[in-house]
Amino acid sequence: MQETRTDPRNPTVHDKLRRLLISQEGVLFLIMLVSVLFLATRTDKFLTVDNLLQQGRFMAEVGLIAIPMTYIIITGGIDLSVGSILGLTAIVLGWTWQELGFPLELAIITGITSGTIAGFVNGLFIVRVGVPPLIMTLATLALYRGLAEGISEARSARGYPEWFFQLGQGELLGIPTQLWLLIIAVIIFAIVLARTRLGRALYAIGNNETGARFSGLTVNRHLLFIYTFSGFMSAVAGYIFVSRVSTTRSDMGTGIELDVIAAVVLGGTSIFGGTGSIPGAIIGVVLIQLLKNGLVLTGVTSDATIVVIGSVLIFAILVNNFIQSRRNEGD
Amino acid sequence: MRKTLAITLILALFLALVSMPLSADGHERWDGSDELDVNPLECMGAEMMDDDGDMDEDMEMMEYDGGMAAMGDMDMAGMEIVVVDVPKLIGIGYFAATTLGQQQAAEELGNVSVSTDGPTDANIDDQIQIIDSYITQGVDGILFAANDPVAIAPVLRKALEAGIHVVGYDANSEPDAREWFVNQAEFNGIGKALIDSLVSQKGEDASFGIVTSTFTTPNQARWVSEMWAYADKCFPDLDWLETLEAQEDAGLSFQQAQTLINKYGEDLDGIIALTSVATPASADAVNQADVCEDVAVTGLGLPNAMRPYISSGCVQEVYLWNPVDLGYAAVYILRAVIDGEFQPGDTSVMAGRLGELMVVNGSEVLLGPPFAFTAENVDDFDF
Repeated sequence: MQETRTDPRNPTVHDKLRRLLISQEGVLFLIMLVSVLFLATRTDKFLTVDNLLQQGRFMAEVGLIAIPMTYIIITGGIDLSVGSILGLTAIVLGWTWQELGFPLELAIITGITSGTIAGFVNGLFIVRVGVPPLIMTLATLALYRGLAEGISEARSARGYPEWFFQLGQGELLGIPTQLWLLIIAVIIFAIVLARTRLGRALYAIGNNETGARFSGLTVNRHLLFIYTFSGFMSAVAGYIFVSRVSTTRSDMGTGIELDVIAAVVLGGTSIFGGTGSIPGAIIGVVLIQLLKNGLVLTGVTSDATIVVIGSVLIFAILVNNFIQSRRNEGD
Repeated sequence: MRKTLAITLILALFLALVSMPLSADGHERWDGSDELDVNPLECMGAEMMDDDGDMDEDMEMMEYDGGMAAMGDMDMAGMEIVVVDVPKLIGIGYFAATTLGQQQAAEELGNVSVSTDGPTDANIDDQIQIIDSYITQGVDGILFAANDPVAIAPVLRKALEAGIHVVGYDANSEPDAREWFVNQAEFNGIGKALIDSLVSQKGEDASFGIVTSTFTTPNQARWVSEMWAYADKCFPDLDWLETLEAQEDAGLSFQQAQTLINKYGEDLDGIIALTSVATPASADAVNQADVCEDVAVTGLGLPNAMRPYISSGCVQEVYLWNPVDLGYAAVYILRAVIDGEFQPGDTSVMAGRLGELMVVNGSEVLLGPPFAFTAENVDDFDF
């Protein structure tokens, strides 16, 4: 027993478990568990299947955008324009369908395509012109929102047929449709990040971009891809959003970029790049959503809820920093 | 080639000559009005003769088009009820005033407890999630002011299905997603109030300009149409000069008001401003040009922004509705619904100190005529 534990190449189950528990995600998961148990003791309305599934429905959009956001932040970048891309997609979808008379299927494709192009434009300027991601996406945050408002002329598109609501309001095998989509996306893109060349390349870029370039990585192509991917996922989230609330408005998704970034950073992704994971980001998304809902259910008003969430964010990051630094010393 | 040109020119001239008297003959439609039907109210003074409460006698009563809450296990009539109010957003004076009204009503009734909770910015998604959480929590009634009429509908229907009574105020949802909606002011009511205000200050032949947000903004376009229709019916001698767009921008509104003052000079008797931003900006422009005596400013305005101009006497009155009464009425109506005293098909409801309120448009309760903020009462409000 003693011998195997000192051998790092051949860890026991016990060791593996210990490592998992004190990893970023492990600590965060424990914090989430404690919060959930605490909230569950305060009200019996919180820990019910119905309520949890409903929260799953609400967090799908943030969760979907959190995936590319994790990729981008790992490379040391940021994308502030995701909320505006969501709004732009929604407006293009509604406008092409109602004003231009596109069939709804085509309008959905057009909407998602324009969102993807919006992300591609971000990437193009960041890579080719060398605009810092923060500046570029701050500019397009305003630009895409302005486009959405201009195209829609502050009018909203309504009256979609019944099948359109399947994605946002329907369920499949008792689980909200968009939650399936989120689960599948999370599994696929968590594996892509953790187990493929693409994933390793992103970490390499985040740790040392110049180094990555000199070791022959096509850095530009990777960056262009993840910003386009971010546009695509925001666009899909936009489609889900329209389907869920059954109307399009140009102010849809305002401020969602901050929810997403908060969740990703809470999940242990360093804002300086180089570290982070999809499971962490998703735990972050779930934790914030459950806190929001649970606190309202226990009778805390939503302005106080924001304060609590902010405090939990700081607390979680402090605890995690403390444990990680202890761990590094231990190693 | 030249011949064709000459003929075209002559033709164009001829056409212009023919069509000119035509357009001048029909009553000129004011800029910024929409194409929807108008429904001007009785002229000033005329409604006094028909003061028995049913002003719309000749109008067909619309069928009730609101929703119904599912029947609960027990009759809540007269019982203690817990109500949550979810306004568009919290932390602004306007909704603080509706909350105040709700608390007053709850206190008077004694068997209602109301709490207000809403998003910190006017975000429809947050509002949906908050309402959803309260449905899960299990309240007896929900009051709301929707950030979007369509987007909020599914979650409100869910509340009705759960047996929760739902009453809206300030901003409506789709009718079938709630039971009643307290309508703070109808478009024709506002149109009449503003024209009457102008006429009482400057006479039936006053010349005036309008400062609006944009020609396509739904509410403002509706108000312009109703003002036009009411003026056409009651005060045909009023001289409408121009409608100017100023978005909802304080600087631009100021400029546009200045434009009216400079362009029309002596001819300008009044400015009607249609946004809560444009009204104080117009008052400011009139004040700075030192023409308070000559140009009457009226319009839709908030007491806090208008207080300096009303107190100094530069502006006599501005209109809006009283948000305290709005919140007050919503609670009384919810209570009446739960007690079974107010049902689909009823034409009026009793709302405490406000007395009897009329049902309009099927499932809406009209708060009453617009409320005038004047030098006497402007200090009583804080929003």
